[in-house]
Amino acid sequence: MSKIMIIEDDPVIRDELTLLLQNEGYHVAAVTVFRDIATQVSESAPDLILLDLGLPERDGFSLCAEFRRNLDTPVIFVTSHDSALDELQALSLGGDDYITKPYNVPVLLARIRSVLRRSTVRSGSENPGVNGLTLDPMKGYASANGKTIELTRNELQILACLMEHNGEIVSRANLIETLWDNQIYIDDNTLSVNMTRLRGKLESIGLSDFIKTRRGMGYQL
Amino acid sequence: MTIREFLSDRLRRLLFQAVFIMAAAIFLSATGTGMGVLILLLCAWILVLICIQTYDFLKCRAHLSELQFIMDHLDEKYLFTECIPKAGNLYERYLFILTKRAGRSMIRAVSDARAANREYREYVESFVHEIKAPITAARLISRHVEPETGRKLIKELSQIEAHVERALFYARLESPEKDFLVRQSSPAVIVANAIERYRSLLIQSGFRIETDNLEQTVYTDEKWAEFIFGQILQNAVRYRRKEDPFIRISGGRSGSQIAITVSDNGIGIPAHELPRVFERGFTGSNGRSLGGATGMGLYLCRKLSACMEAELQIFSEEGKGTQVMVIFPVRDAESGAGKSF
Repeated sequence: MSKIMIIEDDPVIRDELTLLLQNEGYHVAAVTVFRDIATQVSESAPDLILLDLGLPERDGFSLCAEFRRNLDTPVIFVTSHDSALDELQALSLGGDDYITKPYNVPVLLARIRSVLRRSTVRSGSENPGVNGLTLDPMKGYASANGKTIELTRNELQILACLMEHNGEIVSRANLIETLWDNQIYIDDNTLSVNMTRLRGKLESIGLSDFIKTRRGMGYQL
Repeated sequence: MTIREFLSDRLRRLLFQAVFIMAAAIFLSATGTGMGVLILLLCAWILVLICIQTYDFLKCRAHLSELQFIMDHLDEKYLFTECIPKAGNLYERYLFILTKRAGRSMIRAVSDARAANREYREYVESFVHEIKAPITAARLISRHVEPETGRKLIKELSQIEAHVERALFYARLESPEKDFLVRQSSPAVIVANAIERYRSLLIQSGFRIETDNLEQTVYTDEKWAEFIFGQILQNAVRYRRKEDPFIRISGGRSGSQIAITVSDNGIGIPAHELPRVFERGFTGSNGRSLGGATGMGLYLCRKLSACMEAELQIFSEEGKGTQVMVIFPVRDAESGAGKSF
């Protein structure tokens, strides 16, 4: 599992964030002494750094510039300063993303996932099929039993999300959150409609009951 | 200053001169001065008089037009007394000293007020940044409480955030530096960020959002534009209809301009209130009956877009829905990109 380093001076936020990320299954290292941060970072070798811009000793910008000299660990800036100039500066200094406080917890997690995904994609990983179904997200095709169906953007995202959590129950609320992450802004009713269509298409390639409904809990592959 | 004004100003003095000349002429002729000599004398006298008055007039007019010129070319008119040349005669000199004192006290009052305003604005900005840390902490902590309570808490926290955000942009708007950064950006990104900011509000209210044709290029400050779309979305949520609330955000070109339209199927705005929605503090009948309206959202939107030379238009039909159109200015790609204000 990925290791995330939190550099944040507000103790409440630091502790809560640590707890949150641990619950999400990440390894977390939090910086509590704000001296020689660069050394601490290179010693713990994290996969991702969450960097607050308003630190007591020095500002996050110069810190990030220092990391960039000998590390290519992705950095997400977290700050309460919300101006275009700050963001431009953060991203031009080699930050991978820029989140402003106060953040939504799901949004924060989604951003962390996407930055981690981007950095692991660089090292190359393939999405394996589930129960005989393979997905081609670039072309928008799903195939099984030698047959191929064409999926809409919504159906593709629903299926991808379920396949990512293969075997687990995904609640409707989570599914909607994931779709909103991918800029598909649907409501509960539209999700039902999409689900019905998706099941119909899967049935046509011989995968009936591929997506199981767990009453009151959500969906499961 | 015209000759007429000059003469009427000096009327009393000139009349006195005329009476005096007349009296002198009568006295001289009575004491036996010859008619020829008298006429010569009077002509010379009057000629000298006219010369003096003409000289006065020209000098006075030149001086006044110089002052007028200075006034016309001053950006801050109250600095006038600091810029005019020293006066010539005694009377003017005293007047000059008095006006200068008045001007100085005015300048001091203005700069004091400016400094107080700036300090207050800076305080508001730092307050906004400070308060974001406890809100963030509260958001994180709210995960530990029971889900239903947590959702309610998050909703209240979002309300606080929305108010804080408006305070921040209000302070930024009042700042003379207007620190925004116009650069090339895409409405798709701006709209996605605005939706992300209010996603829990939108999801909980059961909204469905369609976006269309937003892959355009506009020149704007992303944060400011995001704030504007955020306000429009908040309004759409507040004034939504009960069943199947829906927002459509679409991009389009009108001529060479790019317009992004946010349409909802909400309760709409009564026609007679529509012209006033951008006024500061105007809440309207919907705002009053639903509560929670500040009358600041659209006011700020219009002010911010005016700064960025964008335009806001609103159309609405009661019971059908509202469309708000944000029209971005056309900019020459080379000169506009990365230009900072």
